[in-house]
Amino acid sequence: MLKRIESALWSLGALAVIALGLMITANVAARAIFQTGIPDSVIIVRELMVAAIVLPLGAATAARAHVAVEFVTNGLSPRKRSYLIVLGSLIGMFALMPLLFAGWRELSGTWSKGSFYFGDLGLPKWPGRLIFLVGIAVCWVRLAELAVRDTKTILGGGAVDEDEGAAH
Amino acid sequence: MIDPATLGLIAFGFVLLLLAMRVPIAFSLASVATVSTFLIFAFRSGDFAPERAIKATSSLVFSNSFDLIHSYNLSMIPLFVALGHIAYRAEITTKIYYAAKVWLVKLPGGVAMASVVGCGGFSAITGSSIACASTMGRICVPEMLRMGYDNRLATSAVAAGGTLGSLIPPSVLFIIYGIFTETSISRLFLAGVLPGLLTLAGFLLVIAVWVWRSPEIAPVGDTDIDAAERWRAAREAWPAVFLFVVIIGGIYGGIFTATEAAAVCVFFAAVIGFVQGNLTWQGLWDSVRETCIQTTAIFFIAATAKIFVAFVALTGIAPSIVETVTAAEPSVFVLMLCIAGIYLVLGMFLDPIGIMVLTLPLMIPLVESYDLNLIWFGVVVIKLLEIGLITPPVGLNVFVIANVVGKQAPIDRIFAGIARFLSVDIIVLILIMSFPMISLLLPMGMK
Amino acid sequence: TLIHGEAGPNRGARAAALQWFADQVSERSSGDVKVDIQWGGALFKANASVQSISDGVADMGSVIAVYYPQEMVGYGIADLPVNNPDAWVGMRATDDLMRSSGAIQADLADKGLVYIGTWTTSAVNIGCKDAAIRTAEDVKGLKVRGVGAYGKVFGEMGANMVRMSIYDAYQGLDTGLIDCSQGYSYAVSALKQGEVMDSYTLLDWGQVGGLGIFMNKDAYDDLSEAQQAVLNDVGADMADEFGRMITAANDKAIASMKEQGVEIITLPEAERAKLVSMGEPFLGKWVESANAVGLQGDALLEEYRGLIAKYTEERDSMGYPWARN
Ligand code: NA
Ligand code: NA
Repeated sequence: MLKRIESALWSLGALAVIALGLMITANVAARAIFQTGIPDSVIIVRELMVAAIVLPLGAATAARAHVAVEFVTNGLSPRKRSYLIVLGSLIGMFALMPLLFAGWRELSGTWSKGSFYFGDLGLPKWPGRLIFLVGIAVCWVRLAELAVRDTKTILGGGAVDEDEGAAH
Repeated sequence: MIDPATLGLIAFGFVLLLLAMRVPIAFSLASVATVSTFLIFAFRSGDFAPERAIKATSSLVFSNSFDLIHSYNLSMIPLFVALGHIAYRAEITTKIYYAAKVWLVKLPGGVAMASVVGCGGFSAITGSSIACASTMGRICVPEMLRMGYDNRLATSAVAAGGTLGSLIPPSVLFIIYGIFTETSISRLFLAGVLPGLLTLAGFLLVIAVWVWRSPEIAPVGDTDIDAAERWRAAREAWPAVFLFVVIIGGIYGGIFTATEAAAVCVFFAAVIGFVQGNLTWQGLWDSVRETCIQTTAIFFIAATAKIFVAFVALTGIAPSIVETVTAAEPSVFVLMLCIAGIYLVLGMFLDPIGIMVLTLPLMIPLVESYDLNLIWFGVVVIKLLEIGLITPPVGLNVFVIANVVGKQAPIDRIFAGIARFLSVDIIVLILIMSFPMISLLLPMGMK
Repeated sequence: TLIHGEAGPNRGARAAALQWFADQVSERSSGDVKVDIQWGGALFKANASVQSISDGVADMGSVIAVYYPQEMVGYGIADLPVNNPDAWVGMRATDDLMRSSGAIQADLADKGLVYIGTWTTSAVNIGCKDAAIRTAEDVKGLKVRGVGAYGKVFGEMGANMVRMSIYDAYQGLDTGLIDCSQGYSYAVSALKQGEVMDSYTLLDWGQVGGLGIFMNKDAYDDLSEAQQAVLNDVGADMADEFGRMITAANDKAIASMKEQGVEIITLPEAERAKLVSMGEPFLGKWVESANAVGLQGDALLEEYRGLIAKYTEERDSMGYPWARN
């Protein structure tokens, strides 16, 4: 279930990259050829950036793609390193909680006040905030799942395989 | 309650500790910055006031991280990463590398040198070191590894090459510096040229010496390739040359900005790939999905670093360091040494723009009181900031490369390679600091 | 000590006025209240200022109304393309309105904010490379970087609008990506755009005046009445002080552009009137937005125009405050 949600969000992120690429290219063409521009293209690209960057966060976490400084602890045994990996997930969950709370506050604030961007179309501010919250929330759930799964692996006498999921 | 500056120093220590314990960089920065920010806000009025602190902390954390992601100009980064992936699948990169290989076959380490020059050229044009590292990391590193290059050389050459972007114009960092110091941006641009070229020459020298002393790290391929094959390879490499011309021509010809160049190039690369039959829809889709995973991790680090910058601003560490230095009334030599030290230490943790906004408002009056040339000082600062991009533990360029190449080159291997480039960087830095003429020669020629 | 968050650098006329504000607060309160300014957006960027101040990230900060067309609609009146060419008059009128309008104050209090003082960009002008604006129609077909309602008017006059940040404008003009960039004399000079322009047209149109100092309401309420009075007085005096600074800075900027060989063009009165009338529809839109949040848009606009007339008259009869006696 979680995997399917992550994959769907990941695809949405990829679509956002394609969309913003096309949007910018079309805007260049419109300017150079037709002496005009796409209304509010800058604001739309910004909102798409949030989708492109934050939505795949869960999938990136599942793939253990977060960069860590490894050389200090490379000498440790795989078991000991596994403990540190669980610690990393727990700290990640802790670090994301303020973002979740803040994202929720922002979303409800911009929604209830009806905040919008100054521009041609008066686009609302809430969609980017909603996307941000969804992306962070899925990432948090995945971190929790990793923490539980890795703890089970350790308790079962095994070690966490850091390269698993790094197929990309 | 301890004073914020002390709390700031403790926070730096905690970040180092968490990093050493393999906690992902983004999580280390975000957790420490959030907790410390909360403490500062909670005790600001003297008594413990958690409600106000929760609101203020949440606002600071959100606005700084969201703001970084919610950026038009930074859309350049996913787009350039996508360009790297698509060009790779469309075999555009393989062909240009094959051409470089057959033409430079007599030059040991020639392909690595070509990568550094290409990377310097690329980041010089786009003005973004990170965009360069992410694109060229995807393009150059796999090709060099396939030719049997040592992974330390392949990755560190690209990470170091990426840092050339801010000294060679145009450069976002110089523009920001010019605004903070009210110095001429065109003079700053000119001032960066010679130091930039000097750095480039230094990097090429590093590769030459490294390969000369251990030839096995850069294998020389089949040496008897005839002229016909060389010319065929050169002709086949046209798409890469075309994309490069599009970027340069478009930006300097006033057709589009660097950000727009990224989008236009992705578009052309995909079209070329489809027309030549090397790219499929599935290949395009896979490229973009891979792009997402890579950029999300890079941005997450940058966004949390932004939160950390805001926290450092709250602590008032920067002004207290400057006050301490000022109070000591050091000689110019000692002053410059202190400034270099401060930037190098900050560069270990923070991103260049964050460091500038934190330090320049305090540093510039100090520098002015010593009657130092602000243009020359700008070159020194930018050079220091570029060095920060490749110093451990937080070296953004290195993370980008590590992220892009995956498990083929762990971070410590990259840092191991970078040590050599860093030593040249330090020599160049000393030269720039000792001989202001290197920076000032070109701007002096301006009317 | 109050922490002030400012998104701009610590250079230029606006920064000097902010520093003046901080120094005066300290001096007039005999060191009782101090303002510690965080420059360069280290705490928050301009587009996050309202939440950041109302949530207490900083005790006070600089707000730019255009980022908040909904939340800061009352203050946004100062950005409207009305006939309002004088920096000092514009600031006095804005400051007066912000202090006297109970409705605006209540609306701000709702958001946890208190108005302290105002700045302005001063009059909106336009600089070009390889082009020159001599009549209102000259913008037609040119690639123009514009801001706010003024930018929209250029667009309606047939300009090809290019969106880019003010920091990118330098390079944009240099490469020819844009032909013209909307700007204000002192900012054009601070951003060195004179290096890449060859004509600069004084439109002397309206201003973008919706930028000023706002304070967190809790932090404000925590102060004693005497301390609050110091902030309010210095805030009100800022219009005079900044008016003096910016008038001098603009004159100096124009002189230095002339020295650089930039042609300075003054738009003829009839051409200027065309721009002002093209801006009218945007006033109607603003009135709608103001009504939507429960402010009396029409009445406020009326009052604002009256204040502009009043201070124009004061300037004409008595001169600028810094040039009196
Ligand atoms: Na550059
Ligand atoms: Na670093």
